[in-house]
Amino acid sequence: MALLAFNKLLLVIGFVCLIHAAYSAAQHRTYLRITEQESSFLPFDILLQAITSLFLIIYSLLQVVGDFKEIRAAVDLQGKSWETLSNIPSFYTFNHRGKALSPLYVNPSSGKSSLDSED
Amino acid sequence: MAYNYEQMSWSEVRDLFRKWREDNERRSDDIVLLWKRILEDNASKLGNERHLVLEQVIIAAFDCARLDISEKCIRELSQEFPGSLRVQKYKAMKYEAMGRYDEANDVLDDIISKDETNAAPRKRKIAIFKAKGKTCEAIKELCEYLKKFMSDQEAWHELCSLYLSENEYSKAAFCMEEVLLHNPHSHLIHQRLAEIRYTMGGLENIEIAKSYYSQALKLNSCNLRALYGLYLCCNHIINSKASVNKRKEAQKLASYVLSEIQSKSCVGNEKAKNDKYIGSLENAFGNLDLKSN
Repeated sequence: MALLAFNKLLLVIGFVCLIHAAYSAAQHRTYLRITEQESSFLPFDILLQAITSLFLIIYSLLQVVGDFKEIRAAVDLQGKSWETLSNIPSFYTFNHRGKALSPLYVNPSSGKSSLDSED
Repeated sequence: MAYNYEQMSWSEVRDLFRKWREDNERRSDDIVLLWKRILEDNASKLGNERHLVLEQVIIAAFDCARLDISEKCIRELSQEFPGSLRVQKYKAMKYEAMGRYDEANDVLDDIISKDETNAAPRKRKIAIFKAKGKTCEAIKELCEYLKKFMSDQEAWHELCSLYLSENEYSKAAFCMEEVLLHNPHSHLIHQRLAEIRYTMGGLENIEIAKSYYSQALKLNSCNLRALYGLYLCCNHIINSKASVNKRKEAQKLASYVLSEIQSKSCVGNEKAKNDKYIGSLENAFGNLDLKSN
């Protein structure tokens, strides 16, 4: 739980860092335009900040989102048993001994005998 | 039972219900019990999942013949969705659970006439035949149904088990192959198909069973039932009139399978564990002896 919170914090920091890098790049461009210099390259520190924050976001996002699914297709089915696989809900029938579990259940033979005793 | 029902919170029960729903576990008695004890009072907290849980409880209540509970849940659903065909289906199922099949059939026919593409009521009609014990008619109806809804793998699966109950193995094998087409990665389907082939008998079928068992083992190497099945197939081939090469191959495979079974089943582990316990017991008693002296 603490690790998850930490990773979320990293994610936020990463995004802030990336936005800051973008803002700095934009500001650098306006500075170039005002001073009328000819240079298409960004300064190294902005580039570095953008790339590190990108990797930070990738890492923390993978940690936050959850576990990877197994790539082998059969693994999901390995834990299943025939018992659950052969159970088909849309073809359930209800005339089975489950009736006897009900508290309202009247045993047919005992019901008959009570009638007999009344006679 | 691994669950301590008295101490479960409603969110735990919700997760448990979800798991059972996704895994198709029947567990009707547990569902009714948990619903009555815990979830019924917290139903409003379930949000959108509430309707699914209600449906689950309705079916479980039918299974346990608790018509009072199912009645209550159906009423709740029909208040929320008046005129819904899906809720109508549960009303038909209520008649079914009461054993009044003709009335159930009337309701289902009504639903089908309103919405011809609705598969669920057609399936229920087949289930009614099954409940009456008329397997042959159920098979006929199911075949008709499958002509219209060919991609319904549940129906293929059901048709397979119906054929099996009538001992029509070759037709059952065909149905299982259809199911296999839908999930080629399921080791259980491979295993089932192999079992059907093995039951049919004859050298050719046993050979086919052998390859299906092998595929099942390839998908899941822990499938003990498939290991035993493969061993039986190999034994059959060894004792048959197959070519010498094939028999030799089967012999090799059989000895390999047997060693696999031995390593998978915990006989060896148990013995080692017992030895350890006996050793420690002997130590303890040895100490006792010293003290008594």
